Amino acid sequence: MNKESKNIEETLIKEVAAILSMEQGSVGPEVPLHEMGLDSLGFVELLVVIEKTFKIRLMESGLTREDFKTIRSLAAKIRIMT
Amino acid sequence: MKISLPYSKNKRYLTGIDWIIHVLNCMTLKETGAGFMSQVVFELHGKADALQTESSLSAFMKKHPLLNGHSSRDFNLAPYWKIPTEGTGKISFETVHITNANKKDAFFDDVLIILEKGINRPFKNRKEHVAFHLITQGEKSYVAMTFDHLIFDARNAEAFLNMFQRDWEGEKDSGNITITEPAHLSMWMDKFKAGQLVNRAFLQIADRVPPRVLPLPPGKKGFKFKILSFGTKETEAIAENAFNEAGYLMLMPYALAASVCALHGIFAGRGISSGDYVIPVSIDTRNREEVNKDLFFNHVSFFIFKAEASDASNFLALLKSIKEQMYTQVKSDLPGDICKASLLMRIAPASLLGRLLKIYFKGEIASFCFSYVGKTAYTSPYFMGNKIKNIFHMPRTPVPPGIGIFFQQSNEKLNVILSYLDGMLNADEGEVILTSLKSRLGVE
Repeated sequence: MNKESKNIEETLIKEVAAILSMEQGSVGPEVPLHEMGLDSLGFVELLVVIEKTFKIRLMESGLTREDFKTIRSLAAKIRIMT
Repeated sequence: MKISLPYSKNKRYLTGIDWIIHVLNCMTLKETGAGFMSQVVFELHGKADALQTESSLSAFMKKHPLLNGHSSRDFNLAPYWKIPTEGTGKISFETVHITNANKKDAFFDDVLIILEKGINRPFKNRKEHVAFHLITQGEKSYVAMTFDHLIFDARNAEAFLNMFQRDWEGEKDSGNITITEPAHLSMWMDKFKAGQLVNRAFLQIADRVPPRVLPLPPGKKGFKFKILSFGTKETEAIAENAFNEAGYLMLMPYALAASVCALHGIFAGRGISSGDYVIPVSIDTRNREEVNKDLFFNHVSFFIFKAEASDASNFLALLKSIKEQMYTQVKSDLPGDICKASLLMRIAPASLLGRLLKIYFKGEIASFCFSYVGKTAYTSPYFMGNKIKNIFHMPRTPVPPGIGIFFQQSNEKLNVILSYLDGMLNADEGEVILTSLKSRLGVE
């Protein structure tokens, strides 16, 4: 994983931890978001953060289930789109 | 138990959301003779012992004097909850044994009638906010807790019973409950600005004509309920359909869009064609640990959605619009602004605030209420030694609008509850809504 992807992943981990009120260490980059307890509202909060941080809007972007599945896959997609 | 209180151990200032709940309680009480109450129901395998259940609940309730409090207003105008120094062990506990139901469906119909009586019965006095009901038939039982929304939101009620279960199992109290709440009488500019933003958002949603509503039935009526309980496989199928049609983790907008479609059929059938749909949505954003820490009062956030009548028969357009509105409201933090602005509204007496709430929508409040409670805060698979089959809620919807659809999950199973004032829908319309919902969710 390159440095850019790693930075994006760290940002996402920080945000998911904040949304779920969890310790950052408990957020696994390979764990599916729904298994961590993220629901519709939490997910939309994450999408808003992504728009504000990376200037890309993912709500109607046509990303697949695989793209959204984990923080790692999402970070990889964001890197390609930015 | 370690409970920290800000100013006095007998006083807990109400938040703005608590005060809005008070207003909804007053309005519902005026229209129906009973307040804004709800009921959480445990369906149990096994026969619960009436005497043991009553005495255990009674002893537990006595430990929480807050549950026998009432609202009052402080010299600084902030409303607060007055907490008595001691709790009471006297609880309302009703036991009903059903003996004559032969078929499974007939049994649940009988249970539902008893539960409806329980939820429609007003509390005995202003200091009673919780009542229990035990219904048994053979080796099956239902335990229901009717609660006042002044003291619990839906997940708090579940968490309270979870705490009771842990206590019953002999587990030591973690001592982590918080009931602190400052008066929030500072930073007025911040609250005024939030009020301005809420005002703008509501004006944008409001139209020249009132939203589409069903007429309230005459007289003081109770609520009727229809319940759809999906199995694990059906719940998985609904989640899959939500993903395919609405996108990843979009079950809430999907459920709301399905609800609008289902109710639109009833409005169309009655020839009600003026205005669009306005739907307030309450969501509890807290995780399980936060719910367990902040066990009392209301912690829901509010969104408000508008569904244009022209979109209501086009599911994908409706879904897109709801998702867009959700995104915009999260981005602008409308729920946070409603929370802040409502702190200002506490100054207004409940009757005045009730009238103010109707100004935006030309004398109405909403077309129907909706909530998606999400996964239950009750963690034990048992209630007093009996295995839990299902947990569902039966909320009285604020009046107006007097009708609501509520989604909630227990044990990986989805429940959908239609709650409406008796007489608001005819016998067939309730069934039509359920059939339409099932069809729209893809599990006919």
